[in-house]
Amino acid sequence: MLNKQMARVGTVLLAAVAVALLVLAPGAPAAHKAAAATTIRIWTDQDRKAAVDRVTSAWGNSKGVEVEVVVKPFGKIRDDLKTIQAGQAPDVVVAAHDWTGQLAADGLVVPIVPNKAVLKLVPKYARDAFSYGTGVARLYGMPTTLENVGLFVNTSLVKVPKTWAALEKSALAFKRKSADNLAIAVQQGAGGDAYHMYPFFSGLCGYVFGKTKGGSLSPSNIGLGNKAFLKNAPLIDKWNREGLITSKVDSSTAQNAFLKGQAAYWITGPWNIDTVRKAGVKFQIIQVPKIKCRAAPFLGVNGFMVTKFAASHGVESAAKDLVASYMAGANAQQDLAAANGRYPANVTAGKRITDPALRQIGRASTGGVPMPNIPQMGSVWDELGGAWVKSTKGSGATPARSAFATAAANIRKKIASG
Amino acid sequence: MSRAPVPTQPASRSTAAAVGALPSRLIATFSGPVGFALKIALLSIVNALSVWSLTTLASRDKWVPFIVLALATLAIDGIYLMRRAFPLKFLIPGTIFLLGFQVIPVLYTVEVAFTNYSTGHVLEKNEAITGIQGAALNQPENGRTYSMAPARDANGKLVLVLVDDEGGRAYVGTPDGLEPIPSSAIRRDADGAIVSAKGYRLLKGSELFGLDKQITALTIPTSGQKAIRAEGLDTAIELEPVLRYDRAHDQFVRIKDGVVFRDNDRGSFVSAGGQELEPGWKTGVGLKNFSRMIHNPLVRGPFLRVFVWTFVFASVVVLLSFSLGLFLAITLDKKGMGLQRLYRSLLVIPYAVPGFLSLLVWQGLLNDDFGVVNRGILHAHIPWLFDPNWAKVSVILVSLWLTFPYFFLVSLGALQSIPSELTEAAKVDGAGAWQLFRKVTLPLLLIAVAPLMIASFAFNFNNFNNIYLLTGGGPATDQPIAGSTDILISYTWKLAFAAGKGADYGLASAVAIVIFFIVAAISTIGFARTRVLENVA
Repeated sequence: MLNKQMARVGTVLLAAVAVALLVLAPGAPAAHKAAAATTIRIWTDQDRKAAVDRVTSAWGNSKGVEVEVVVKPFGKIRDDLKTIQAGQAPDVVVAAHDWTGQLAADGLVVPIVPNKAVLKLVPKYARDAFSYGTGVARLYGMPTTLENVGLFVNTSLVKVPKTWAALEKSALAFKRKSADNLAIAVQQGAGGDAYHMYPFFSGLCGYVFGKTKGGSLSPSNIGLGNKAFLKNAPLIDKWNREGLITSKVDSSTAQNAFLKGQAAYWITGPWNIDTVRKAGVKFQIIQVPKIKCRAAPFLGVNGFMVTKFAASHGVESAAKDLVASYMAGANAQQDLAAANGRYPANVTAGKRITDPALRQIGRASTGGVPMPNIPQMGSVWDELGGAWVKSTKGSGATPARSAFATAAANIRKKIASG
Repeated sequence: MSRAPVPTQPASRSTAAAVGALPSRLIATFSGPVGFALKIALLSIVNALSVWSLTTLASRDKWVPFIVLALATLAIDGIYLMRRAFPLKFLIPGTIFLLGFQVIPVLYTVEVAFTNYSTGHVLEKNEAITGIQGAALNQPENGRTYSMAPARDANGKLVLVLVDDEGGRAYVGTPDGLEPIPSSAIRRDADGAIVSAKGYRLLKGSELFGLDKQITALTIPTSGQKAIRAEGLDTAIELEPVLRYDRAHDQFVRIKDGVVFRDNDRGSFVSAGGQELEPGWKTGVGLKNFSRMIHNPLVRGPFLRVFVWTFVFASVVVLLSFSLGLFLAITLDKKGMGLQRLYRSLLVIPYAVPGFLSLLVWQGLLNDDFGVVNRGILHAHIPWLFDPNWAKVSVILVSLWLTFPYFFLVSLGALQSIPSELTEAAKVDGAGAWQLFRKVTLPLLLIAVAPLMIASFAFNFNNFNNIYLLTGGGPATDQPIAGSTDILISYTWKLAFAAGKGADYGLASAVAIVIFFIVAAISTIGFARTRVLENVA
């Protein structure tokens, strides 16, 4: 009996609370509707959030647009665009240039056309990184920051080498001083690392994809087994015998060796500048000297893209204004670059960089090759990295010519399977 | 990281009894009026939240979630307030979790397996058509660019006020074309942005943003197919379409040479020469993903080798882990052994550390030039991760490290559940230690543990993490995709996401379904054997 009575009391109580809230609730949805028309939603990762907040709110205030910044893990930005409901979808995303092919082929991002003033400020190679199209190449993103690896030289142990021969000689001499020393610390490990090895690959005249007449990357022109590279490949076998590079070195081994003074040369990127400084190592960064061809690093370009959702949200022109014009500006790029310790794409902003290490890494990017942005690149990483692992694993290594020729054949098979 | 199921046997009966007392006291407290008041309070909060959500949903015209939420709220109230609905309290949440975490993902996987869902096939067809049209615009050589300001003319019609970037001539652009106006009518600021135009009211702020769709749709024809379009808020450019969509025939035509791109029924517009327009769309492709598995040499080639290794890997890991776990359990089950609890706790450590962390640490330890195992312990030069066979040994050993504590715990529990009368009777009958173990302990133990071994086998059969984080499937063989330690699931992952053209979810789902049937078949046979075991006992 008691329970029944209490149940009735409870029900009344519930109803009362519900009605009270019903009266109070409509305030929130109404506010939302008013703001919806001029809100731009941006997806960024945690690392860039503060800079994106600052830069975009300055733009938003000047245009009268509200900016909503949503944080996502970097890779999730690319993946979630496929599955997100249109209502929650972003209008603008922070992106890596090598997502361009995939996102454009999916139809999730839309092309932008910057005006002529912008074209002068943002160099062509950085824009090429965001260009994609099987018929007509279009620009899908505004480059803002650049990153690339360089050769970090411990200047208290060795002199900065001017030529490849000098580098090879000094690295091997340093290695001979102690059994614990590495000649050139560059990370591979059992899984391989085609990205960090790229300066050696391009230095021996290798390339990943050739270009079509129209200037876009061709997935059927694979440069791993090109004649010039295969001719130079026996140098890799020589390096392997000498122990100049070894695939047994993984990222932590390479880092420890350089920081402890057990390696005078380390191939790494701007993300490690602070680490080296904190360890008190005196260093200078250069591009790996020309081997047979320019030992250019892979370029990674980050930037912003406009999604297809901007049009259905009715903010396409605003989103394009933000990405194609405002984000190209020197002030915005300086802010973004400074917040992440990277080099800006905008040349005016680049001139304002005062950090010597960052200037050096910027110079080391000269002639750099943007990582291919076509979706077929997924077939390349493992194979290219694997060929390096096999040919530089010390005793029992596969001759480089055969390792890279096999990799080229495998890549062809993998791309054909798609 | 997912784990094999936790043992159901309590570790020791006495502690179980001690633990049991507390819940019953709790139940006693909370079934009275205090509990009832608490229940009402919690339900009120739930209802209040859902009423608030319902109004929000209604105001945004989201009627499907509205109805679902309304029914769910009524159901919660019903279940917790009506005595008769009492059993549902436990059934409903269980069913919801089952649906959410098992049934829906399975259905989704099956659905995807019959589609072409992959890079370039994500959108709906109509979205893809819009996408192709938007991408197939070329900036012609000598194409002009303009400073632009959207405005309304004297009649209130939307126009674009334009100033040519080269030469600085001023125009008003309408859907009818360009109309020159005197440049003196226009004032620009230091950056070149248009500030005002005589006879036109420039659009600003919310009025401007409200017209986004009209502004982006406005095309101002110049010559031939060329037209000026707004790009952003202060720029306009001359663009020329490369393709024309022929709605009547549902095809694209390339303007310069008349090449036709037709719907190929597999989610793309394709020319007779095989050129494909991007983006394509997601569509059903029947059994194509399954037939690709059979016909594609890339899939077929290494399949048998990978399958055999997967089977070996999973069985060896389970058998070794069980043997080691059982051995340690028996050793530590001796009565009167000092520091028993300490040993037991230490043995569970590999199980308690997050698996991915252990795997990465092991990767470092096994480095053959610099790792602790070779350098510090063995003083040998074993290529743990660089030689195909040693790499297999490595993944098995590391998986053993991660799995044996589970069998140790399970066996410890199961051993204590074997009635001591049985073992004592066997001893009286003159059985030796080995005979006792072989004839009494092991059969009784297996009744409890064998189903868990099958579960662990199924788990290791698909143990993506252990392979991927330790060796990445490597070292590479000469065959594309499948490395020496790749098991079916990591091989599938590479096939779907690191081959061809980007990601291929359709193929991945199809292979996943096939793997499911393989595991299901093996488990069914295993469980049938277990039943035989029970009969013997």
